[in-house]
Formats: sequence, structure tokens, C-alpha cells
Amino acid sequence: MGTQVVDLREALRQAMNEEMERDPNVFILGEEVAEYNGAYKVTKGMLEKWGPKRVLDTPISELAFAGLGIGAAMTGLRPIVEFMSFNFSFVAADQIISNAAKMYYMSGTRFSVPIVFRGPNGAAAQVSSQHSHCVEAIYGNLPGLLIVTPSNAYDAKGLLKTSIRNNNPVLFLESELSYGDKMEIPTEEYLIPLGKAKIVKEGKDITIVTHGRMVTVCEIVVKELTNQGINAELIDLRTIRPLDIETVVRSVKKTNFCVLVEEGHYFSGISAEVGFQIMENCFDYLDSEIVRVCQKETPMPYSKELEKETLPNVKRILSAVHKALNR
Amino acid sequence: MEVPLTPKMESHDYTIFPSDTKKIIAELGKERLIENLKRMLLIRNFEVRAESAYQQGKIGGFFHSYIGQEAIQTAALEAFSANNWWVTSYRCHALALLLGATPNEIMAELYGKSTGNAKGRGGSMHLYAERLLGGFGIVGGQIPIAIGAAFSLKYKEIKDQVSICFLGDGAVPQGAFHESLNLASLWSLPCVFVIENNKWGMGTAVERAVSVKRIAEDKAPSFGMKGYTFNGMDFFNCYAGFKHVFEEMKKDSRPVLIEVLTERFRGHSISDPGLYRTKENLKASMAKDPILALQVNLIESGIIDQEEVKELDKKYRTIAIESMKYADESPWPEISTLETDVFAP
Repeated sequence: MGTQVVDLREALRQAMNEEMERDPNVFILGEEVAEYNGAYKVTKGMLEKWGPKRVLDTPISELAFAGLGIGAAMTGLRPIVEFMSFNFSFVAADQIISNAAKMYYMSGTRFSVPIVFRGPNGAAAQVSSQHSHCVEAIYGNLPGLLIVTPSNAYDAKGLLKTSIRNNNPVLFLESELSYGDKMEIPTEEYLIPLGKAKIVKEGKDITIVTHGRMVTVCEIVVKELTNQGINAELIDLRTIRPLDIETVVRSVKKTNFCVLVEEGHYFSGISAEVGFQIMENCFDYLDSEIVRVCQKETPMPYSKELEKETLPNVKRILSAVHKALNR
Repeated sequence: MEVPLTPKMESHDYTIFPSDTKKIIAELGKERLIENLKRMLLIRNFEVRAESAYQQGKIGGFFHSYIGQEAIQTAALEAFSANNWWVTSYRCHALALLLGATPNEIMAELYGKSTGNAKGRGGSMHLYAERLLGGFGIVGGQIPIAIGAAFSLKYKEIKDQVSICFLGDGAVPQGAFHESLNLASLWSLPCVFVIENNKWGMGTAVERAVSVKRIAEDKAPSFGMKGYTFNGMDFFNCYAGFKHVFEEMKKDSRPVLIEVLTERFRGHSISDPGLYRTKENLKASMAKDPILALQVNLIESGIIDQEEVKELDKKYRTIAIESMKYADESPWPEISTLETDVFAP
């Protein structure tokens, strides 16, 4: 098997190019995806490769182009809709929520909606309150949507290819800060199934569960814990819906301690859900309370000193681990 | 603050699309004309019986009747044929009937039964057919879906079909309307937007909601598309207009905006007694009954007589009543199916 070193944006592009090669009904539309080569260069070169029929620049009109994608998906195409930022998906929320999420069930299985909405999610660098939302908890509350949160280039490629082939609406949440992260991945084609968490590092003392960009932060934490003589197990959920609670439960049964790390907020967050499901599935195995590290309960501040503190960071996560272990 | 009820800008009178009833009678012939009368009688009888089922407590939730507007979608089907993509609002019983959903399956859906059009999961506002992408429950939410269907046709280079989107006057102030018309025109998507102006957005009169009087004629030019006004109480006028639009679209594939002036004989939904309308207003509306108008024309042209009309009406009354029986006797959905089909395989 050959390998190649690519950054995350290149991995995403390879996934889209391969799927467009495989299926003529796959196309991409969104703001600046074509002539500008992508606001974050994920779609760089795709207009040149596929032409304007399959790589379409849209006006700043999220409601219309998200809905157009859903209508196209209902009538036989497989659109990839790029949101320049998932913050802009709120303008299109009615289409995603009322139409895409409900259609298959509501129509008594008459119409399915095979569509991928993808783009950066969460905080970038000092983009302030309106451009820093984590949307997984908001959309995760709605049955009918699949939610994928890749943390690295390998997963991003394999998960995106699977998402494009899936017959349901998928929200594929990337991170602007991770687009440049390089990784060695196979040159041969591979797919990663949805709903399978990954044990990033095995350990026996405590389970740390996270997803998306926070995996990278937790990897630093886990190294530091090793130095402190704490052997932590790190789990990357990879997909929020479906949620692979089995992998989490197996780990907690082994380690008996758990910390949940999430870039989004505490209230009704993914950690609130994962924590509750741990309680439902392995309450008796817990030797102490589950501790959460999430974004603090304020709109995202602009100042970099405040931004650093409101997001989960190494210091806050280490302190949560110590609290859980009572050390 | 007193809100002025009349727009500040001078509104001009409508230019109703010109049509020649005699010519259309000759063009369509006896068989097609009677078929269209039958369709309208089916819709009317179905709605009347469904309302009575609602009053008996057999149907729950929201229920929006198409009574008074039958000529529009019936004429559209005759002009375009079913072989296109169709999208409409929550006022969707008629379009589902026209596009091949049976009275039995629709009534069963209204009753929430397993034999329903959407397995009892959608209800009155969410009905489907092979080419009907749905009734949509959020005002204006169907408009972007319609341009998506038009996009598919263009992408697949299917040139003899279009996407037809019905919406109410109440959807015109929504952002979805403006965004979709802009994109449809920008990308030359073959989509017909049909505003059924029944003068009321729930209980708010259209002149209190839309800033111009002539919705299509005034708004279409700003999107770079053609705009027309039809008389929705006149089957022949609607047919002539839709036919013209379809012929034009087959040539230029451009989107078109149509306003069809119609009347709502009932409240917005079944729970709305319409207290905001005067008796005179309602009476004036009902005097324009599109089914009576069609009958009069057909009788005067010697295509059908009064007795035959009565027989047809009776036939569809029976079909509607039988659909109630079918729905009543159909089983409830199995509770074991509750959590199935949230995701497609």
C-alpha cells in the first residue's frame, strides 16, 4: 500500500474528486467554491477539473442554495453544499431542519435526501461571537440528520466519501484551524463507516472522550498525563450521530473514570448527552463523577486572552482529569 | 402608530392574461373538459367530506381546505401534464389527488392510519405522489425545493419538463421567495412560481402584508423574469395562461412568476371561523365558485347537461364517503414501526 502526506483540506478535496469521478450525480455548490477556489481552498482546482456544471458558485443566499440542494437531492442528484462557515447555516436552518431532516420519515419513505452540508465549524482565531459557533449540539437534537466531526486528514477523507454515498442528510463539520494539519494517508481508496469511534490512545486510568478539533488538544493533554504517570485512554467520537456509545462504555468500564471535552457549550451539549448515556449504560462502573470541559456559557469574545480561556485548553482539561481522579 | 393599509406607491390595475373560452372548449373537446370537471368535483367533494370527518373528531391537527381554488391546480395539470416536478404548500390535498394519490390513501393519511399516503406520518400538510415532492408546512419553505427540482432537470438535460411551485400570497414576504426567484433567474432554472392569491395570509389581508398590489406583474421584472396574472376562478383562463407559459418555457427554459387571483371560501384552516371577514365579503367570494362557472360554460356549450352534472357530483360524493369508510376501517400504524425509517437505508 502506497502512502502520501496531505493536509486536511487536500484530503477533503481528494474525497470529493474521487466521489465525483465515481458518480456523475455528485456536484458541489456554495459561496466562492469555484472561481475563488474556495474560501479556505478546500475546493482549489475543482472548477478547472470539473467545469461550471458541477462546481457552482452561489450568491450569498444560504437559504436558497441549501434548499436547492435538498430539492436536487430529492429528485435524483447527490449535492455537496459547502457553507463558508457553519455559522451561515443558521440562515438556511429552516431548510436543513424542516425539510432535509424530516423528509424521509415524514413522506412515509417516499423521498430521501442524499446531501452533504460541509464546511468549517467552531472557533477559528478571534472571529468573535457570530463566527465561532459549534453547531453539533444544535443540529444533534434533531432526528434525521447525520453529524460527522473528523479530527484529522485520514478520517476526513474516509468519512467524507462515506457521507457522500449515504442516502441521508449529513452535516460534515470541519475546523478552519485544522485545514493545514498534515498526515500520512493511503494513496489507495478507503472508506470509514459512520458511527464508529476511534481509540486514539489506549490507557487504563481514565477515559477522555472528545471529537473534532479538541482531539488535537486532548492529545497534548494525554502526553502530559503520561509524564505525570497517568495512563489515559483517548476516544475520538468521529461521528456525533450515530453516536458510538458502546466504545465509550467499554472504555469507562475498564478505566472507571471519565472526562468529557467539547469545544461547544456546556448546556445541552454533546457532553451532556454522552455523560447521560454513560450514566444509563455503566453507572455502577464509575468510581467518581464525570467531569466536563466545554466552552464557557458566554458568546465568543473577540480578545485572544478571553477566547483562549473560554475554549477548552490543556490547562483546563488537565485540571478536570485531576478533579475526576481526585489527585 | 397607524399602519397605512394602502401601499404608498401607486398600484396599477392587473392585466389579466387574455383567453378565449370558446376556443379552449373547441381545443380540449368534450372528453378532456368533462375530465377536468370531474377532477374539480373530486377535490370539492373530498374536501367537504374531510371537513365533516374533522368535525367528527376523526382527523386532528391542522387542516387547510382547497375549496374555492380548484380551477387553478386542475388547469395547471391539464396544461403541463403530470410528468413534471410539483411542489406546494400545506394546502396540498388537491394537488395530491390530481397527481394520482387516491382519495382512500389521502383520507387514510388524514385519519393517521397505516394505509395513509405517508403511512400516517405526514398528515394533512404532507402529501406526496410520484412527482409531487410534497406539501410543505412552513410558509415559503417549499420554494427553494422547487428550484432544486428545476436544477435537477437542467443538470440532467431534461428539456421537456419543468418544476411547478405553488405558494400562497402569504409566502411572498418570506425571504425564501426572494432568494429562490433570484437564483432561479440567475441560473435560468425551468421553474414556474404560481402565487395563489386568495387575499388572506391566515387572517391578515394581502394588502396589509405585500407592498405592491400586482405581485407577479410588479415583482417579476425585478428578477428579470416574465410575470402574469390569471383569473383563478376561471378554469379556461388558467388553462390558457399555463399552456402559454409551458410553451414559452419549452423554448427558453426561463423561470416564470404567475399570480392567480382566487378566493378562499373557508377560514385559513379548519379551526379558523373567519370572523375577520364580513358576510358580504364571503358571499361575494362564493358567488364566483369556479366549479359552478365551469358547469355553466359546459352546459351552455351543450357538452353536458344539468342531470349529468348532478350524477357526477353524486359519484364523487360517494367516492369521498367511501374513502372515509376505508380510512375508518384501516388499521393504525403498528407502534413497532414508530422508530423505523428515520434514516434511509
